[in-house]
Amino acid sequence: MPELIETDIAIVGGGGAGLRAAIAAAELDPKLRIAIISKVYPMRSHTVAAEGGSAAVTLAEDSLENHFHDTVAGGDWLCDQDAVQYFVEHCYEEMVRLEHWGCPWSRLPDGRVNVRAFGGMKMERTWFAADMTGFHMLHTLFQTSMKYAAIRRFDEHFVCDLLVDEGRVKGVLAIEVASGEFRVIKARAVVIATGGAGRVFRQNTNGGIVTGDGMALAYRRGVPLRDMEFMQYHPTCMPGSGLLFTEACRGEGGVLVNKDGYRYLQDYGLGPPDPWPRKKAMELGPRDRLSQAFWHEQRKGRTIPMPGGDAVHLDLRHLGRAKLHERLPQICELAEQFLGIDPAQAPIPVRPAAHYTMGGIPTDVRTATSLPGLYAAGECASSGIHGANRLGSNSLAELCVFGRVAGEEAARFASSVQGGNGVALRWQAQDTAREALRALERPAGGERLAAVRDEMAKAMERGCGIYRTAAEMEETCRTLSELKARANAVSLTDRARGWNTEWLAALELGFQLDVAEAMAHSALARRESRGAHQRLDEGCGERDDANFLKHTLAWRVHAGSPRIGWAPVVITTSQPGTRAYGAAGEAAQNERKADAAHA
Amino acid sequence: MAMRHTYVRSMDGWWRRDPYFLRYMAREATSVFVVTYAMILLAGVIRLSHGEAEFAAWLDGLASPWSVAFHVLLLAVFAYHTWSWFRILPKTMPPVTLGGKRLGAGAITGLGIAAAAIASVGLFALVVALA
Amino acid sequence: MPDSFHPSEVTIEVLRYDPADAGGPRTQSWSVPYTPDMSVLQALQYVKDHLDGSLTFRWSCRMAICGSCGVMVNGVPHLGCRTFVRDFLPGPVRVEALAHFPIERDLVVDAEDFIEKLREIHPWIQPKVARLIEEGPYRQTPEELARYESFSHCINCMLCYAACPQYGLDPKFLGPGLTALAHRYNSDSRDGAKDERMELLHSEEGVWSCTAVGYCSEVCPKQVDPANAVNQNKTASALDWFARFLPGRS
Repeated sequence: MPELIETDIAIVGGGGAGLRAAIAAAELDPKLRIAIISKVYPMRSHTVAAEGGSAAVTLAEDSLENHFHDTVAGGDWLCDQDAVQYFVEHCYEEMVRLEHWGCPWSRLPDGRVNVRAFGGMKMERTWFAADMTGFHMLHTLFQTSMKYAAIRRFDEHFVCDLLVDEGRVKGVLAIEVASGEFRVIKARAVVIATGGAGRVFRQNTNGGIVTGDGMALAYRRGVPLRDMEFMQYHPTCMPGSGLLFTEACRGEGGVLVNKDGYRYLQDYGLGPPDPWPRKKAMELGPRDRLSQAFWHEQRKGRTIPMPGGDAVHLDLRHLGRAKLHERLPQICELAEQFLGIDPAQAPIPVRPAAHYTMGGIPTDVRTATSLPGLYAAGECASSGIHGANRLGSNSLAELCVFGRVAGEEAARFASSVQGGNGVALRWQAQDTAREALRALERPAGGERLAAVRDEMAKAMERGCGIYRTAAEMEETCRTLSELKARANAVSLTDRARGWNTEWLAALELGFQLDVAEAMAHSALARRESRGAHQRLDEGCGERDDANFLKHTLAWRVHAGSPRIGWAPVVITTSQPGTRAYGAAGEAAQNERKADAAHA
Repeated sequence: MAMRHTYVRSMDGWWRRDPYFLRYMAREATSVFVVTYAMILLAGVIRLSHGEAEFAAWLDGLASPWSVAFHVLLLAVFAYHTWSWFRILPKTMPPVTLGGKRLGAGAITGLGIAAAAIASVGLFALVVALA
Repeated sequence: MPDSFHPSEVTIEVLRYDPADAGGPRTQSWSVPYTPDMSVLQALQYVKDHLDGSLTFRWSCRMAICGSCGVMVNGVPHLGCRTFVRDFLPGPVRVEALAHFPIERDLVVDAEDFIEKLREIHPWIQPKVARLIEEGPYRQTPEELARYESFSHCINCMLCYAACPQYGLDPKFLGPGLTALAHRYNSDSRDGAKDERMELLHSEEGVWSCTAVGYCSEVCPKQVDPANAVNQNKTASALDWFARFLPGRS
């Protein structure tokens, strides 16, 4: 029988969102017993790798309306505008709070916080801490969380199931990694903050832990996954490893050139190239457009072949050594250590790689999911603010804005209900535990885990890449179905219970295949092109607001393919328009201003 | 939490495992020689307080072949002591700025060794001049 | 780039430990396909994926920022993801769990001592001057930021603890990385809790266990310079001790 632990709030995931939620709950009600359950020590969470910055309307010349419009347009109008409104209203307050907690934001000479330009944003509003913003935010939140006696951590505990009783979530089942023992963690409210699922793709910027665990946990308990077809490809990543070169490189003035040294983005509606830098133009266009431009350049044979894949050049030389080392120190280190390149002397080869999962567990503005007692925040959630494409620096801000809401809502919910029946929960846990142990007990001689995992990653790259076709998506769906069966027959070399990371990787593979299926089937169902989901098929090459201005929902079907449904998009003040950047964008903006003046 | 059967590795002979540690131990060992030389000088001062004859006898003792050899060894050890002392000095100091720029560890070490060298040459010249 | 020496394979040797095995640690070797850009972490991943799934190690970000993958490579602490096999040719490349920590399994060490001490240094801002959120951020000039910024770069990888023989000899020592973090907060213009942290730094297990070996700063992958943080605080600690004799100080 698994050990039973009593808590009031269980937070699954110890990254930016999870930590912010825990702090918020502890501040709202210090008498609550709050648990942070993470499969890694919190400072290893992938928030740590985010580089560029966190958005918040700061300058007097900026406005909430600007941030709102940039975000909704950036998301190709698939955003829930009530969520976006709440979001832009609360970013500044959260960034100030982080500053009060010690976050070492980069400063102007007079001591005020500095802000920089970022892709798709009309005005400088990205707060940054050198080029290690995620690192500094995560460490600030983690270290601050240690102040609160109400917060108890279960480090290196792998959550393998939610426990649901009488239609409400009442706890989680976790494996203590060191011993392999199961523990039932009872809770009156659960917050999922487990991050994205980029590891289902072959080339990605993500750490090994980003395997969509929380999404799969909710999915398996009847919660649909929303907008899973929208996977962001970050345009500037290291060929081969996929490691990230922050958008801030372009924010500081870096340019992208093809093999002829030509700034090719001007051919894709983002020009003219000069003056540079210029917001919402050329290299400061939105990420989906830049990745798509790369794809076209590659088709035209204008990219540079490299061992890790075709690439273009990110040229930072004109920034000068001093500025490079002050604003982009980590980038310089990455280029030098991994590629032997000094960015002050030579351009850096880059290519798109899978980076951010726009989709996830659908939440309302209060981060509540369709399962009572269950909340979600951060990349694992589909909060509605990113729509079909996320703008850089909105994600780090999201962790704090919605992390806080999730913590407070979970605290309020927990105080309003009774805890679950411990005995019933432990019996439920026994069943899942038996399932989870099946992988460990399978006889030897079966297929290796890595083979199935690598085939999944290749299939997702082929079928759910930057440009998609029905034929390739269908092929990927078939492959994933086959891989699910193969995953259930994988045999493990490692038979131990304690510190068995091969066993945990097998459980993660199960999560990943569930999430990948939701992605591929949702992609097939959306017969239009919008944001990060672009199709080459006949009739699907343009945005189709008449038929597809709606969210996809993927429901898990036992022993079958996901069932796809639809949900309306919340539109308040911004009617779908053209996403225009570069010169076209400036013209559209002037038109809007003229209209507003005449209204 | 379940009992963890962790394995604790021995620290026996830790200083032999890495050239960095050998150099550290050598640095620490030089302090023995420093104390020894201090004792020799102290002995000289005590002899001086007992009169010129005793002091002269002490000086003669220093001139013996074994003593000279020992003093050559001491010189080498002191040179290493000085060098390693100034190598670690920057670690003990807060940031020092000179003309708006932070003084690097190499500069601090270099300045220290230069000062020691100049002082040594100066002292040697003084002794030679007085002899 | 044509190499004078470019093997097709390299031998990886790992000190393995299975807590269920009464025999204690043992060495195991594998031959792994070699490419010039391959990291030690990638070599370990190859073994786990294709040769022996039971090889156990921590890793995540692959870009030297999460701090998970610290190991000893040929006796020196390194981050596996940013340490390249080409620098250890012809091999064998010997990989072992971080020194001075108890081994849990294979390359995984028991990090609980570090985690507990992390809390003990009170690594959070206790503001010198209270300020409401509505009043906006504190002012902090680039010069004030520079006073502590490098000490804030610690990724908690614990390589410095694996380098520090004093920690190895006496695990009660607070150690290099956490002293650097305490120093980061003490040096932050917004913080007012220096006296509280100095209690811990003053003590026998604080800075006075350090004998200025300096290896910690050599191995630090982020140039935090923990040796400097610790030894600066010896001066601070000494001055503080003498200051108590001044009138007006408790």
